[in-house]
Amino acid sequence: MTFKVIEEGAPKRGRAFLTSFIKNFLPATPLLLIVGFFFLFPIARLIYVSFLSNENTFTFSNFVTAAQEPYRTGFVNSIKIGLFSAAIAAFPGAIAAYFIETRGGSKLRRTIAVMSGVLANTGGIPLAFMFYAALGIQGQLTKVLKFFGWDLYAGTFSLGSFLGLLIVYLYFQLPLMVIVFSPAIVSLRREWSEAARNLGANQFNYWIRIGIPLLFPSFIASFLLLFASGFSAYATANALTVGNLPLTPLQIGGLLDGNVSASQLNLGKALGVVMILISACAVIPYLAIQRRSARWQK
Amino acid sequence: MIKSKFQLPLVFTLLILGFFVFVPMISAFEYSIRTPAKGGYGWDSYLWAIREEEFLYYIIRSTWLAGVTVLITLFVLVPTLTWIHLSNSKVRGLIDGLSLLPLVIPVVAFAVGAQISFPEFVKNTVLELPFLYFVLALPYAYRALDIGLSAIPLKTITEAARSAGANWLRTITSVIIPVIRGSVMATIALTFALSLGEFTLTVLLHWDTFPTWVTYVAQENILGAIAISMMSLILPFLLLTLITLFVPERSTQGRK
Repeated sequence: MTFKVIEEGAPKRGRAFLTSFIKNFLPATPLLLIVGFFFLFPIARLIYVSFLSNENTFTFSNFVTAAQEPYRTGFVNSIKIGLFSAAIAAFPGAIAAYFIETRGGSKLRRTIAVMSGVLANTGGIPLAFMFYAALGIQGQLTKVLKFFGWDLYAGTFSLGSFLGLLIVYLYFQLPLMVIVFSPAIVSLRREWSEAARNLGANQFNYWIRIGIPLLFPSFIASFLLLFASGFSAYATANALTVGNLPLTPLQIGGLLDGNVSASQLNLGKALGVVMILISACAVIPYLAIQRRSARWQK
Repeated sequence: MIKSKFQLPLVFTLLILGFFVFVPMISAFEYSIRTPAKGGYGWDSYLWAIREEEFLYYIIRSTWLAGVTVLITLFVLVPTLTWIHLSNSKVRGLIDGLSLLPLVIPVVAFAVGAQISFPEFVKNTVLELPFLYFVLALPYAYRALDIGLSAIPLKTITEAARSAGANWLRTITSVIIPVIRGSVMATIALTFALSLGEFTLTVLLHWDTFPTWVTYVAQENILGAIAISMMSLILPFLLLTLITLFVPERSTQGRK
C-alpha cells in the first residue's frame, strides 16, 4: 500500500486533479452553465448597472432617487400590501390546511392540492376579470350586497385601490398558504398526541405545549413566503390599477417599458436591486426555517 | 381517516373556501356566456375566441414553449440530481442553494436583469423564454425530483441496472425515471403549468404568448377576453388533474 502511494502519488498530481474535477464537477456543468448564464449573470449585471450613471460612471444617485418620492411611497405600499395580504391569509389558510389534512379523505386532499396549485398561480387579467365580475361596480356580489343594503361603492372603494387589491391578492395568497403549510401539518404525528394524552394532557395542553410550538416555525416561514409573493406580484396589480396606486413592481415595469421616463436611465435597476434585498429578507429566513424543520418532517 | 363521523369543521372550512374561490369564478363565467346582442345566454364569446386566427397560433406557441421548458428541465435536472445523489459530491450544497435562489428574486427584478444582459442572438429568439421559465420553475422542479430520488434505494437500483449491462443513458431513461415517475410527473405538471401561465417576464421582455395575448383582446372584445380567461383557467386545471390521476399516491412511492 505505502509503496503504491509513494510510487504513484507525485507524478500524477495533474491527472488526479483532472479526475477529481470530473468526479466532482463535470456532471453538474450543464445545470451550472444554464443557471449561470440565464440567472446569475442577469442578476449580477442588474446589480452592476444599478450603480452606473447615465455616463456609465460609478454613482449612488440611482439609489438616492429610489429612496425619494414617488418611489418611497411605492415601496411603502408594496411592503404594506405584502404584509397585510400575508397576515390576513396566513391564519385562515393554516386552519383550512389543518382541517383538510387531518379530516379530509385522500381524494379530497389530492383535489385540493391540484386546485390550490392552479389557484395560487392565478393572476393578471384572468384574476382581474373574475373580481370585476364579482365585486366590480356591475359585479354579481356587489348587486347582492346592495340588495341587502350594503353599497360597496358608496365610499371610495374600487378594485384598483389598496383595499380592493388586498382582497384580490387573497385569492392567490390563501391557496399558497394551504400549499406551503400543509407539509408541516402532515408531519405532526398522531403518536405525539396519543403520547401526550397518555401522560395526562388534554386537547388544550397538547396544543399549547406540543402542537403550536411545533407548527409555529413553519407558520412564520409560510407567512414570510406569502409576504414575498404579495410584495412582488406584478401581473394582477398591473391589470387592476390605472396608475392610481404607486407600487414598486409597477414602477419598475413602467420604467422598463419606457412608459414612464426618468432622467436617470438606470433608476429601474436600482429599484429592482432594492426589491431583491427586501424579498431576500423574507425568503432567506423562510428557507432557513424550512431546512431546520425538514429534519423532523420526514 | 374517520369517514362515518360528520365532519363539521371540515365542511365549514370547505364552504367558506369554496365561496371565496367560486363566487368570482362563476361570476366571470356568467359574463362570458352573455350574449348582449341577442339577450340571454350562449357560447358566442367562446366561439368568437376560438375562431380568432391568433387563438390557435398563441395556444400552439405557448404549448410548445412550455414543452421545451419541460424537456430542458428533465434533460438537465434528472441526470444532475441522480449524479448528486449517487456521488455525494461536494457541489451538492452549492447546487441545492443555487436551485432555491430564484425564489429570492422577484420576477420583475429578474426581467430587468434579463433585458439588459443577453447578447443579440439570445434576445432575438423566443427560445430564450424556455430557459428563463426553467429558472423560474427550478426551485419547485428541483425539490420535487429531490424528494423522489431520496425516497428510493437509488444506489442499489443503479448498480443492478449497470451490472445487468445498461449504460448510463439507459439506466436513467428506463430504470430511474420509471421508478420515480410520481416525482417526474409532478415536475412536468409544475413546469408546464408555470410556463403556460407565465405573464410578468414574458410581457416585460416584449414577447407575445397566450397569457399576454388576452391583454390585446380585452381592448376590442371584453366578453371574448373573459371567455379566453376562463379557458386559460380551466386548461391547466384539467391538465393537472389528468396528470395526478396517472400518478400513484405519495405514500405508495415512499414505500418502494
